[in-house]
Amino acid sequence: MSGNSNSVKTVVEEFENEDTQKDKYLTFHLAGEDYGIEIRFVTEIIGIQQITEVPDMPTFIRGVINLRGKVIPVMDVRARFKLEARDYDDRTCIIVVNIDGTEVGLVVDEVSEVASIPEKNVEPPPRTGNSTGNLCIQGMGKIDEEVKILLNVQELLFNEEMQKLIGDMTEDQE
Amino acid sequence: MTIDIDDDQIEIIQEFITESRDMIEQLEPQIIELGQNTDPETINAIFRLFHSMKGSAGFLEFDHLTRVAHAAENLLDLIRNGEITLIPNHVNLLCAACDFAKEALEMVESNYTDEEMVAPADVMAEQLHQAIELAKNADDGTQDDPPEIDQTVDLGASAELPQIEINDEMRQSFVTEGVELLQNAEQGLLAWGDNSNDPEALADLFRNMHSFKGNCGFFGFSEMEKLAHQMETVLDRVKSGSPLAVENPADTLLAALDLLQNAVAELSEGREGTIPEIEEHLDQLQRLLPQRIGEILVEAGIHPAHVEAALQTQSKPVGEILIEQGKATPEQVSTAALKQKAAQEEQKKQITLPAKKAAARANKQDIRVDLGKLDSLINLIGEMVIAENMLINNPDLKGMELENFNKAGQHMSKLVRELQEMAMTIRMIPVAGLFRRMIRLVHDISAKAGKKVDLVLLGEETEIDKTVIETITDPLVHLLRNSLDHGLEPPEERIAAGKDEKGTVTLSARHEEGEVWVTVKDNGRGLNRERILEKAISKGLIEGDGSDLSDKEIYNMIFLPGFSTAAQVTDISGRGVGMDVVKKNLEKIKGKINVSSTPGEGSRIDLRIPLTLAIIDGMLVRVGETMAILPTLSILEAFRPEKEQITRTPEGDELVRVREDFFHIIRLHEVLEKEPDSTELTDGILIVLEHQEDRFCLCVDEIVGQQQTVIKGLSDFIGNVSGVSGCTILGDGGVCLILDIGGLRESIEGKNSKQVTAA
Repeated sequence: MSGNSNSVKTVVEEFENEDTQKDKYLTFHLAGEDYGIEIRFVTEIIGIQQITEVPDMPTFIRGVINLRGKVIPVMDVRARFKLEARDYDDRTCIIVVNIDGTEVGLVVDEVSEVASIPEKNVEPPPRTGNSTGNLCIQGMGKIDEEVKILLNVQELLFNEEMQKLIGDMTEDQE
Repeated sequence: MTIDIDDDQIEIIQEFITESRDMIEQLEPQIIELGQNTDPETINAIFRLFHSMKGSAGFLEFDHLTRVAHAAENLLDLIRNGEITLIPNHVNLLCAACDFAKEALEMVESNYTDEEMVAPADVMAEQLHQAIELAKNADDGTQDDPPEIDQTVDLGASAELPQIEINDEMRQSFVTEGVELLQNAEQGLLAWGDNSNDPEALADLFRNMHSFKGNCGFFGFSEMEKLAHQMETVLDRVKSGSPLAVENPADTLLAALDLLQNAVAELSEGREGTIPEIEEHLDQLQRLLPQRIGEILVEAGIHPAHVEAALQTQSKPVGEILIEQGKATPEQVSTAALKQKAAQEEQKKQITLPAKKAAARANKQDIRVDLGKLDSLINLIGEMVIAENMLINNPDLKGMELENFNKAGQHMSKLVRELQEMAMTIRMIPVAGLFRRMIRLVHDISAKAGKKVDLVLLGEETEIDKTVIETITDPLVHLLRNSLDHGLEPPEERIAAGKDEKGTVTLSARHEEGEVWVTVKDNGRGLNRERILEKAISKGLIEGDGSDLSDKEIYNMIFLPGFSTAAQVTDISGRGVGMDVVKKNLEKIKGKINVSSTPGEGSRIDLRIPLTLAIIDGMLVRVGETMAILPTLSILEAFRPEKEQITRTPEGDELVRVREDFFHIIRLHEVLEKEPDSTELTDGILIVLEHQEDRFCLCVDEIVGQQQTVIKGLSDFIGNVSGVSGCTILGDGGVCLILDIGGLRESIEGKNSKQVTAA
């Protein structure tokens, strides 16, 4: 497992060193679909590790982990999209993202690669759904015949509904 | 002055700003004390502080500041000499002068000039001058000002504030500052010895001695003051360009400086700072000043008036003029000149006598350190505590016989603990400074609101983290304002209620259960439950008539933003912003607020602040496979309960009897939603916890051990979690939650109320 994550990490670093992160997406598997998030938000990828649960959190906040002395919360992306839960295995990864200084770990089934998807190959998200998940979709990326669901990390972490959810939880306790 | 400022000068200016701010801080309480007590010592002290400020500002060419300080000094001088009588207006003027100075200092801090203060300076100086004129006229003429005299009495009564006398702490700060000044002076002298023509260094030296003299005077150390004054005279002479009797006076000055340092060292040890054989040393310094030829001539029998006249037209040596004017014979003059020369020679010999070297140095020193550096030091130490835990409790070592390793490990733990304690104390400062600032506030507000107030300060020596002090400054201001404006009744109302017409506001700080409690208490009318409730209902903040709410819940509503029961907005309070600020700031430092109040007897607000923001002593407990930390300070005892001790109430509450008391039982596994080893209470351990006056029991599977715990916040992303105050990293690298005792306690209350509503 660790070999896998390390290799991805070097790929990430390589791209960072090239000083161009535009149109680069880190892609991962989740319940049979391929997803991608913008590489500029990703700080590192680590294997799954011991997660300490925090009481009274929404189910998709699995708890907190120790990342070299920093305590960061971990979100299960499957649970976030209300997908069927699945036991963690040795391919499960935590993608650590950083948005404006807030670091959060995202639990995904498997990290695949860093892919380059030029803007012209990104279609706008389908307008059908009224589910919460749809808001988080930034677009559909095409690489040859494959389709990657590109996620908007900002929305994924901070969209109003979720803030409300957390807010409700904390208010409940008070 | 304004355009090219080099780094040195900036440094001097910054030092000046810091010093002046300190001075103003000292000044304010003193000025207010003047209102009730015009004893000459106080006036002198204030006079000196203004004088010092004037001197320093003058040296740095901050003319406007100098002007105002000078005017204030004039006023005080007249009062001091009894030429005019102090009226309350003077106190207010002096306070205003302080405010002006603060503003000017801010200006100076950002622009290195006080040019822009010209208009306010004019106004301020003018006001002071007018006050002087007015007072002079009033005192000269008839006492046609009875209302103002009434006011004096009134203010005297209303502003009766704690006496400020020289206590050990002030003495200590005198010593600290004195040592610093003397050391600077010493360095200046040494540098001057090498290069006596640097006017900058000289001016700096002079300033150091001058400040020191001022301080001595303020504290009444007359011997030190005398010696310092003499040194200052010598330096002044040099500064003005006159030659001294010897080429290099630095040695003599250094000797005198050593004496002063000795005296300061003595003071720091708690003895009197006396200077042995002071007369002799004063003489020696006097000898540094060359006798002017005119003085010698006078001694030789020439009439002083003639010499004086000669001096006034002096462009040639005094002697020649006198000869020309026929007032003295050439012989007389040349003898005098010879005498002067001989005297100088002799002085040179006398002065080079080796001076006794200082044996004892002052033993208290401090340096100013950037707060950022301190913070990163403390963070690093926090990381080190974690690393040490990881090392000593490393799972790889489990079950191994490691006698030497354990010994070394224990030693290391001890050192780390000491290091950590030391680091924590670095940031702590006494609350005295903060409390003293409130004296002025209370004085101003009580005058404005027409109330008579006694401010009592307790526990000034309590030490709190510096950032915490900064964070609670605003809340304290708001709380005091509220107490004065809403809490305390006007004198008539108090008398009608059978109370002393003068209200008391107590500001206290003390350590309590590992926290610092800062309390603002007044003996006014107390919080009005009905009014608060009425307001809350009209604002739609609560549903129903609120009769089911506890007093505490209702009192806590005053902290909601925009909540004010004041009938009208005054310039002191009433907008409903203040209490919100109090709450916000306290949340920032993880503090809590307790409000209690008895109608007619007053109200009391406790600000409860965690002692340290970083590290606590923790007890590691286990439920099933989950670990949690309890603050050791909250733990009273722990035991395995017997069956007979446990009672179940019909409501489903579990109680345990410990000696004569019954405590509620909270099961930790229920709070954390975990699977415990056993659900039988008799298989677990009960830990008796104390939160404020409340006690309750927490049931866990096992107590694992005690350890130093570095508090880390749960991510902002998660926000506040009730029952959890933070988390820490354990020896095995896992994250462990730190339980919040207050939150746990509230969770049973919550549970109970839910059950009640369900029923």
